[in-house]
Formats: sequence, structure tokens, C-alpha cells
Amino acid sequence: MARTLLDNPPGKRLIPISSCAGMPPAVQTDKLTKQFGKLLAVDRISMTVEPGEVYGLLGPNGAGKTTLVRMLCGLLLPTSGTATVLGSLIGSPTTKTRIGYMPQESALYLDLTVHENLELFGTIYDLPGRTFQTSEEELLDFIHLKDRKNDLASDLSGGMRHRLSLACAMIHRPELLFLDEPTVGIDPELRASFWEFFSSLRQKGVTMVMTTHYMDEARRCTRIGLMRQGKLISEGTPDAVMAQAGTDSMEEAFLRLAGRKEANR
Amino acid sequence: MKARHLAAISRRIFQGIRHDKRTMAMIGIVPVAWMCVFGFAFSGDVKNVKVVVVNQDRGYSMGTTNVSIAATIVDKLQDDILRITEMDDPEQAIQQVKEGRSDGVIIFPANFTLRVLSRLINPRDNEQASISVRTDDSNVNIASTIKKRVADALLEAMNASGYSSPVNVDTSEPIYAKNARFVDAFVPGVVAFATYLVATLLTLISFVSERTTGTLERLLSTPLTEGEIVGGYALAFGLISILQVSILLGVAIVAFDVMIVGDVALAFVIAALLAVVGQSLGILLSSAARRELQAVQFFPLIVIPAFLLSGVFWPIEAIPAWLRPASYLIPTTYAVEALRSVMLRGWGLERIGLDLATLAAFASFFLTLAVVSLRRGRR
Repeated sequence: MARTLLDNPPGKRLIPISSCAGMPPAVQTDKLTKQFGKLLAVDRISMTVEPGEVYGLLGPNGAGKTTLVRMLCGLLLPTSGTATVLGSLIGSPTTKTRIGYMPQESALYLDLTVHENLELFGTIYDLPGRTFQTSEEELLDFIHLKDRKNDLASDLSGGMRHRLSLACAMIHRPELLFLDEPTVGIDPELRASFWEFFSSLRQKGVTMVMTTHYMDEARRCTRIGLMRQGKLISEGTPDAVMAQAGTDSMEEAFLRLAGRKEANR
Repeated sequence: MKARHLAAISRRIFQGIRHDKRTMAMIGIVPVAWMCVFGFAFSGDVKNVKVVVVNQDRGYSMGTTNVSIAATIVDKLQDDILRITEMDDPEQAIQQVKEGRSDGVIIFPANFTLRVLSRLINPRDNEQASISVRTDDSNVNIASTIKKRVADALLEAMNASGYSSPVNVDTSEPIYAKNARFVDAFVPGVVAFATYLVATLLTLISFVSERTTGTLERLLSTPLTEGEIVGGYALAFGLISILQVSILLGVAIVAFDVMIVGDVALAFVIAALLAVVGQSLGILLSSAARRELQAVQFFPLIVIPAFLLSGVFWPIEAIPAWLRPASYLIPTTYAVEALRSVMLRGWGLERIGLDLATLAAFASFFLTLAVVSLRRGRR
């Protein structure tokens, strides 16, 4: 049977989440810091994401979530501190072939067709023709754009563009996916289908690091990290974070730990 | 740097252009339209200049015939450059110019032929024959055309009447570009200007959109290097410029019958190099423009110096000496010079080598800066 998108990347055994010992962490940072002028966007963050996790980054706007993700993707150089992704230093070419990044904006070439967008990233990731075709077929199936394959991206609706954007980040079957607010601005139905997809990816051992503002999504993560003013102020399973805040509502926990009222106190 | 990656970036530019008719028009049709507008409008000399001739010359009777040198001159003045109306009253003629209905007045006095002849017979005669040319100098170009036509007609008329000048200035054997018209000298300028403009502006627009839509981020999150991105763009715009130059030269040859005496292949090399300079400049400028609108504000910065200072339409020699160093800082200057040398003088690689090397230096300098500017984005 042909390998499917949701299979493990080549050369990797399918490992249950409980038996990840011995593999390098998917993400490991040590006092990672990013300063823009006077603004300390990310402030000495040390965190670890184990393989197979779905790690949610939460925090108010401007907390530094996107900056952190962009550093981990090699788009920004840290001011100080170090970080490894899948066992190698961030930004190295080998790391970059193994990760996928879905930016906040749809980040598509609107003057290209759906197929041309996917093909571009297929070529950039050096996918052999056959592998690309299989991968594209499956992704188009998943994002329900098979019959729009030759339509320009500019003719797609917002939700469709979002789906195509995710597909572009997935074309090379990355082991680790960085998703920056992947479900912002899409309807509840599509959001549900995104999460179905995330769950199936997770079952196949793909690690995900995502930023989100949705509390119900935070609850579905294996662990969450709460950021405020560039600092990681709380980390753990959703239950643990709620317990730390002394509440059984994620929303309440967020407001108590990272809310503006708290910040001003 | 992988060829496959360069090709991927170039291909996506071509695919984008294919889906966008306006961009296609900008590359293909606009330069040709310029060529036609300038080619027809500036097809050479000024034409149809309205002139009033007041010929009061009474001539000189030789036996039964009356000789009038003024009449011969007026005869020689007749062609498609001047549109002559004759009047009797000088005041009335001058009024025509004053009211803007005419560009100049040419007045021959009553004793014109008499004075010419007596001066020819007795060169020590102090009184010269004179033609009074009163022009509207508010348009210098038109005024100087009239003056030049009068001088030419005078010379022709004197020769025709058998009173030729003892001196002949022979300009019939130019060293280069014999029979060149204005449009011939103009085509190299259009080729360079169009190539530079299209490469710079398209890259600028396209790269600002890469930045604003987030596709640049996305590219940089892949194994693609900054050098490959810049290189891919350079490859695409180099190829586009070759396509563009083919169209331009095709039109120039078919529609305007322009003279190309040199190696056309060299013209392509020059244009491609200039396009690479232009596109890397576009990438550089894009880092200063955060939005498309700001990119539009750069247009005059790109267009005006290239248009005015690089010898596209008038020679660098016409630029005041203190401003001339600025011309040599603009890459189009070297491209125009090299293209003109190749197309009109037929110079080969050995003669335009310095221009080419300068262009190549500009290209590598700007390419490096473009890559550096992309890398700086990570700071």
C-alpha cells in the first residue's frame, strides 16, 4: 500500500507518545531571548516540547508568541540564549527540511493557482515528482480543493486560502509543525475539521506547536505554555494550569494568570 | 545554491505573470508603445513649423530677365519642415507671431539681391545684404529649426545661383552611423530605459507583496537560502529582459527600420545585466517599503534620474559638468553607452568591455546588498 500523508516521515518508526525516550526533544530552548530595540519581545524562555506533543502557546496579543515561533522556525536570530529543534540548532538547513510553518496570514501566492502554490513548495523541499504527486493528491483531498486545483488562489474564499496555507506547510510531510493562529478567522465547522486533522497528525507522531486565542483549543493541547510580556509564566497540561490558577475554567485561568488586570497589579 | 531552487523561484514569477494580464502588458506592450510614441513623435526634425515670409526684394534686371536671389532662397525653403505663407506687410507678419498664429517671420528687404550682387562684385563694399529672421524663441527648438533652415537655404540658393562660397564643409562621410536618424540613436536608450524600469518596478512591487503577504517569511522558513531567492529573481528578470529586448528590437526594425550594425547578442547581454541590476535594486528598495503604496513613492526616485541623467534621450555632454558625476553613478548610463556603441558603431566586446565590466560590478554589488538586506531581516 502506498504511504499516506499521515504515515510517519521516511526512516522513522511509528512511536507511541509514551515511548519517546531516547529521541531528542522536538523543541528545546535555553533562556531564549529576543530584543527589538528597547522591546524585550521574548524574555529568557526555557521550554521543552517532547516529540508527539501538541503544544499550545497562549497569551494576550503582544505577549511574544509569534516572535518565539518565528525564532524556532529560523526566521529570527535570538538576541541571546540557545534553542534546538529536532536535535539540531534552529535555522540550520537540515532542520528546516523537517519542519513546517504556517504563518498567521495565509501567505499564499495569490497570482498562482492552487496547484502551482503547492508545486512551488514541493520543489523547494526537493520532493521527487512521485512523492509530490501523492502528497498533493492527499492534501487536496483533505482540504476539499481537488476541483479547484487549477483555480487562482486569489479566487478562493478566506477559508479555502487558510486550508491551502496549511497544505503548503504540510507538502513535505514535516515531523514538526509550527502553526501561528491556525484557526483564526475560519468558521466553526472548518475549525472542527482542522482539529480532526491535527488529531490524526498527532496519532501519526507529528509534533505540533501552535499559538491560539481559543480556550477550547487550549484544552485539547497536550500541554500549554502561558506567555505574558515575553515571559513564560505558566506551563503544563491544561488541567495543571487550571489547577495552578485555582479554577476549573480555562478562560478564567487565562484571565487570572495572563490577563491585563493581573499584569497591572 | 541549487539550480532547482533558482528555477523554482523563477518559474513562480513567470507563472504569476502569466496569470496577470496587466503585468504581461507592462512587460510586452508598454515599452513597445513608448517606442512607437517616441519613434513617431521624435522621428527626427521638427516639422510643419508655421513661418511667414515677407519678400520685398525687387531683384535685379539683367537684360530681359529679373533675377531675385530672395525668390531662390524662398524656393529652397519650401519643404515639409516649414509651412510658408507669404505676406506683403512686415508689420502684419510680425503681428501673426505676436498673436501666436505663426512661429517666425523671414523678411527680405527690397534691395536684397542688389546688395548681394554689389557685395559679390566689390567685397570691400561695407553694406551687407541682410535677411531679418524674427522668431518666437519661447520654443527654442522650433526657433533654431527656422534659423537653421534659413542658413541652409541661403547656402543652397547661392550655390544654385552660381555664387558658391569659396569654402565647403564636407560632412558627407561620418565615421560611424552614416545616415542615422534621431530614432536610430534613440532605440538604444529606449531599450535600456525599458529594461531597467520594468525589472526594477516589477521586482519592487512583487517583493513588497512577498513581504506584506508573508510569502517571504514562508520561503525563508524552508531550506531555501536568501541567495537562492535573490538569484531566482535575477534569473527570471534576466530572461524577461531578453524577451523584452527581442520584442523591442523587432518592433524597432520592422516599424522604424532602425539601424543595427553591431552584434545583437551583445545587446541582449547588456540588457540582461542591466535587468539584474534593476531587480536587485528593487529588492533592496522593497526592504524600505513596508506597503505597496510606499513602493509607489519610490517610482520617481527610480525613474527620474535614469530618465534625465543616463543619456537615454539626450547626451550626458548636455548635462552640466557639476552634475555629471551623478550620471556615472547610475547603471543605465553604462548600458545606454554600451548599447549605442554596439548598435550604431558596431563595436565588439573588446571595445565595450569596460561598460560591461562596470555593469557587472553594479550587478554583483546590488545582488550582494539584496542578499544582505534579506539576512538582516532576521536580526
